[in-house]
Amino acid sequence: MNAAAVGVPRDARGLIAAFDRLLGRVVSIRSLALLRVLVGPIVLLHLQPFLSDALDGRIYSDAFYEPYASWYPELPEAVYVGLLCVGAVAAIAMSLGLLTRVATATTFAVVAYNLFLSTTHFHNNRAYLVIVLGLLAVAPCGRELSMDAWLRRRRGLPALDPAAPAWPLWLLRFECSAIYGASGLSKLLDPDWFGGTVTWQRVSRARGDLQAWHVPDWAISALTDRGFHTGAAKFVVLTELFIAVGLWSRRTRYAAVWVAVIFHVTIEASASVQVFSLLGIAVLLVWAVPSTRDRVLRIDLSDGTHRRWAAAVRSLDWLARFRIEQAPAGSRPEVVDRDGTRLRGGPAIAFTLSRLPLTAWFALPTLLLPAVRRARC
Amino acid sequence: MGRRVIVLGVVLLQLGFIARGYWADHKEFAFQMFPESSTWRATLFRVTADGERVPIDRPWFGYRWEDMVRDRGLSYPQYRHHADAGLDNQLAFLRAALDWVAANTPRDNETRYLEARVTAWHNDDPPRVEVFRSRAREEAG
Repeated sequence: MNAAAVGVPRDARGLIAAFDRLLGRVVSIRSLALLRVLVGPIVLLHLQPFLSDALDGRIYSDAFYEPYASWYPELPEAVYVGLLCVGAVAAIAMSLGLLTRVATATTFAVVAYNLFLSTTHFHNNRAYLVIVLGLLAVAPCGRELSMDAWLRRRRGLPALDPAAPAWPLWLLRFECSAIYGASGLSKLLDPDWFGGTVTWQRVSRARGDLQAWHVPDWAISALTDRGFHTGAAKFVVLTELFIAVGLWSRRTRYAAVWVAVIFHVTIEASASVQVFSLLGIAVLLVWAVPSTRDRVLRIDLSDGTHRRWAAAVRSLDWLARFRIEQAPAGSRPEVVDRDGTRLRGGPAIAFTLSRLPLTAWFALPTLLLPAVRRARC
Repeated sequence: MGRRVIVLGVVLLQLGFIARGYWADHKEFAFQMFPESSTWRATLFRVTADGERVPIDRPWFGYRWEDMVRDRGLSYPQYRHHADAGLDNQLAFLRAALDWVAANTPRDNETRYLEARVTAWHNDDPPRVEVFRSRAREEAG
């Protein structure tokens, strides 16, 4: 049944058709493939305390727990521990891309089952992990960066199309943004939070820790001053909201990603948040433009230094941003961006580094340098 | 059609969870991080059939509270703790823990119910004292 058949007005039909086109748009899901690789170890870190307890002969039901629903199936201890082990093995297979679809769905099922066993299992980072795994499970993200793809090549079979309908990617972007937005909004609406009371009290109670870490006295005085938190709390709230909104616009996306990384590193350094920081940073990959090899890096491959540079880019270009081409002998490295703009020499190197996942955070600020800005032609 | 329903369903569900976080004790998928600086502490008793209130900071019938309640910052309620996910969430866990311990101490044939006398500080508000009781136990003689 389509919109016309059910008598939907023409404008609404147009909107629905546009929405359907957006969801069905075929895009590269390389970022989801890379996220899948990174999420495997994060799942292992998540399961580690459960497995560690299980090896010591303790599982959740040996102490206080609270099922969400009486009908929710609970397994005998040995089967439960076995299930956790299956989850860990599936996470490794997911990361390697071996039987990717099955492995990812299994990882999702085990992590979700375990989360919903008890209200005491629930933490925001685990909820986020379940969401990410669920969306990876429905996306065909094993067609590249996977053992499956490698095995196909070895068997002489043609590679599967690494592009797919975009809707899982859009949904993951929505969830990523919603998490920062929900957190920021809840703080914005809470006068105690926005007014600085919450952060002031938390930091004041941690004064002993600050002294133990040999933080200078002047810094401790500043950090435990209530007036400081009147401004700092607003800064925190606006940072979260900026990340939530800024990720959606291409003009502010790089800034939002850059701020989000600092945000997560700061949280990791100051609070115990299990796998939230790692997951939060990894999911930022989904904001990469979903197309591959649409920038050209021209390099003089007869030059040893340039050859090493090309090798470094090849090994770090996990999102497949660049197509590397041979440049005339003696020429400087050159990058041609999607819109046809060209950069040469140092600015080209800075730009290239700003588009590689591992170096982007360090290189992005260099794009603001006047010399680099002027170099675009 | 199918993917449209899935996407809209997930988006609406997520927005619903975020809204629910403003009133529910357990704020699943609401992503309210570091919501409060609230703190709490509690003195726990078991109240016997004859009305005696016995503190349970020491073992009873071979049971120890801290062995039975190991999660969510509830192991040592006598000390003042931060309510990590907010006071309502923390106290909901405490009430559930009282019920769970009351229901899972079969050797105890003395206790009628468990009781927690809670002092809670919501952010920098003055302290509030509340008393929670577990469900009544049938095992008490």
